[in-house]
Amino acid sequence: MFELRAIEKRFDAVVALNGAHLQVEPGEIRALLGSNGSGKSTMIKVLAGLVNPNKGQVLIDGNPVTIQNGQDSRKLGIATAFQDLSLIPTMSVRDNILLGNEPRNKLGMVDKKAADELIDSLLKRFKIDCDPNAYVQTLMPSVQTMLEVAKAVSLKPRLLLLDEVTASLHYDEIEVLFSVMRELKEEGVAMLYVTHRMNEVFQICDTTTIMRSGETVTEGKMSDFTLDDIVYYMTGQRPETDAKGAGEHVEKADGEVLLDVQGMTVFPKVRNLSMRAYKGEIVGIGGLQGQGQSEFIRALLGAETVEDGTIIYDGKEAKFKSPAAAVVNGMGFISGERNREAMFPLRTIEENIIAGKVAKGNLFAFMTNKSNHAFANDAVEKYSIKIGELGHPANSLSGGNQQKLVVARWIAMQPKLLLLDDPTKGVDIHSRQEIHRILRKCADEGMTVIISSSESEELLAVSDRIYVFYEGAVSAVLSGANKTPEALVAAMMGMTE
Amino acid sequence: MKNPSLTAKLTFGQRIGVFVKKSPARMAFIIAVFLYLVTIAINPAAFNASAIGSIIMLTLLLSFASAGQTIVLIGGGMDFGVGAVMSSAAILTTTIMNAQDGHFFQLLITALAMGALVGLLNGICSVKIGLPPMIVTMAIANVVTRMQYVLTEGSPMGYAGPQFIKSVTSRLFGVQFLPSIILYAFIIIPLVYFLLNRSRFGKQVYLVGNNPVAAKLSGINVAKVQVLTYVFSGLFAAFAGMLGAAYMNAARCQIFDNYAYESLIAVIIGGTLLSGGVGTYTGSIAGSLVMVVLSNMLTVIGLTQPQRNLFMGVILILLLILYNREKNVRQ
Repeated sequence: MFELRAIEKRFDAVVALNGAHLQVEPGEIRALLGSNGSGKSTMIKVLAGLVNPNKGQVLIDGNPVTIQNGQDSRKLGIATAFQDLSLIPTMSVRDNILLGNEPRNKLGMVDKKAADELIDSLLKRFKIDCDPNAYVQTLMPSVQTMLEVAKAVSLKPRLLLLDEVTASLHYDEIEVLFSVMRELKEEGVAMLYVTHRMNEVFQICDTTTIMRSGETVTEGKMSDFTLDDIVYYMTGQRPETDAKGAGEHVEKADGEVLLDVQGMTVFPKVRNLSMRAYKGEIVGIGGLQGQGQSEFIRALLGAETVEDGTIIYDGKEAKFKSPAAAVVNGMGFISGERNREAMFPLRTIEENIIAGKVAKGNLFAFMTNKSNHAFANDAVEKYSIKIGELGHPANSLSGGNQQKLVVARWIAMQPKLLLLDDPTKGVDIHSRQEIHRILRKCADEGMTVIISSSESEELLAVSDRIYVFYEGAVSAVLSGANKTPEALVAAMMGMTE
Repeated sequence: MKNPSLTAKLTFGQRIGVFVKKSPARMAFIIAVFLYLVTIAINPAAFNASAIGSIIMLTLLLSFASAGQTIVLIGGGMDFGVGAVMSSAAILTTTIMNAQDGHFFQLLITALAMGALVGLLNGICSVKIGLPPMIVTMAIANVVTRMQYVLTEGSPMGYAGPQFIKSVTSRLFGVQFLPSIILYAFIIIPLVYFLLNRSRFGKQVYLVGNNPVAAKLSGINVAKVQVLTYVFSGLFAAFAGMLGAAYMNAARCQIFDNYAYESLIAVIIGGTLLSGGVGTYTGSIAGSLVMVVLSNMLTVIGLTQPQRNLFMGVILILLLILYNREKNVRQ
């Protein structure tokens, strides 16, 4: 049995864990839940040896142990699959999996044959279809994630930590992962599962520990909780049900066309794609991972080169050469890859909000502090985005709030067309609902929103119409009564009537 | 929803750490004052108006040279060409002025054009072509330095104009510790402050330096902004070189080459991150003061030049360790 007792962790003045506890038995799959910033990732990192707690105890089978670093953790039989992958992109699949765990022969040399067998069986078990000699950086993100999990499992751990691994997986890959998890459970492996996808939790987990503000709020059997309970324990408030459910959105298909794309090709991901977006409409873009959604959105913005086809935007032919040109013409872009593509972590919250305004206009124009404050304050108040002091650095915020910050940045610019690429990736359910509410409000005021998402529930909840992408082209357009989970999944798999 | 940011009690050492991270400029001022007090304690004769005047003079000169370096570093680049541009501008000054004051505007335009050109070249090579800034600016600086030797045959002629010299080195109101270079500070400092803190360009520089990918996707023309930072660096270095020539009266090849390193270190002591996105000009001025006071102290102690260099190096490594350790706030 693995147990964490009264763990405390401070980063300078920020308290990440405040007396949190957790335990997990062999053969148990425990969900570790909490909103962004609740400290669940830090708990995982304590077990993985990446974070040394200031106070508290780690016990294995009742005996206190110390985990100072990754090696200690490994020796104690703990393996971790991380949300931000720990694979080395410039090494091959094979070398990554074997790294530090190479099978050796009698002479102490690497046993190539045994290694090959190990790799083969592992790839087969996880149904990963890739060349073991391929470099990890050339693989799709979802395959990389599967490898990350496979690598952790190959260590034959007693405790397996899975930190938001399904965030970038397709639904068929998740099925494979779950079946492996069930096998491991039979073998008596203890598992800790962190995710924001609630349906998975009910599907696979036996028990749960819910955290809030660095403390353990409650724990118990999964069957004793409803979704509402979980949201309540995570956020401290009962969730409001969405005012507008699926299918109730007003059809805007007879309105004014803002964007008309015909036969767009972006090498190599998008092929001969056509779509249309009307004023004041939320258009969803669905599909399995890597069907050209991101490339399509980036091509509209001018961040990818359009090889062929026409784009009519706001009544004019528009193939922008750079995002700068697109922004000048009233587009906005919100990326779900916040660390890489959206946040300025060292700058203040205010500077992050005014970034859109900063990007647009005369380079040597005077910008007063007063007008900047006013702009940021307006954005925060109008859409009631609660984000702490404007002068604090943006990296003091939790992930969900950072994402709301990026949303605020663009909403405040009042773009004609707002593009979102998987904006709620890794965002907790409460912040997610808030982002949806903001988008709906903007659309009601006449903004056109194009949102791509890897989650079916999100698309169904927020969009008026859904374009489903399959291998770089549209496999179905769902609206009104057609907009059902079944139709969406079928179209995602490329099954069209 | 609230963040788990309950304030915990910090030890004295941690509090100093937080203070240094939060306000490196103030910290640098404190270090400078402390070093000066040590100097006086060692040799009370070091405390006099003329010594203070020369500290202010050299600090301002270094801070003008650091102005562009600050902007470049915040924008995510690095400029080792500051010294070579200063030396070249100094040679232009003595050659064009030739001990007369008549050619000031001709000089100003030539020197600034030279600085802007070198800056543009640095910018194009490091940003557009994508060469590592540290290496390419050094290489271009080297070419600029060799040009000095080729064009002057190794011995530059002439002197700065007498009025121009006076405008830099005379004392205001006859007060020893007020060198008239202060008048130039009234132009340069507000100009840099406007560029970095009040113009759209400055805001863009900070964002670009912190996360260029996000800046590009937010609609900022990243390449243009970064090239401009190098151009400004060239302009400020050229102007500092002109003033430097006036301070030294005459010029020789490579006369201000050490300013390349000194400006870089002054900027870093002032709290600007080598990785970009964070920094202030106030910090760079404070950093310049630390550099000048430190060198003054070593002279007062009576060390030989090689010994001074050695000490300077050790102390600077210590300062860099104090300033540039990784933050571990939130992961």
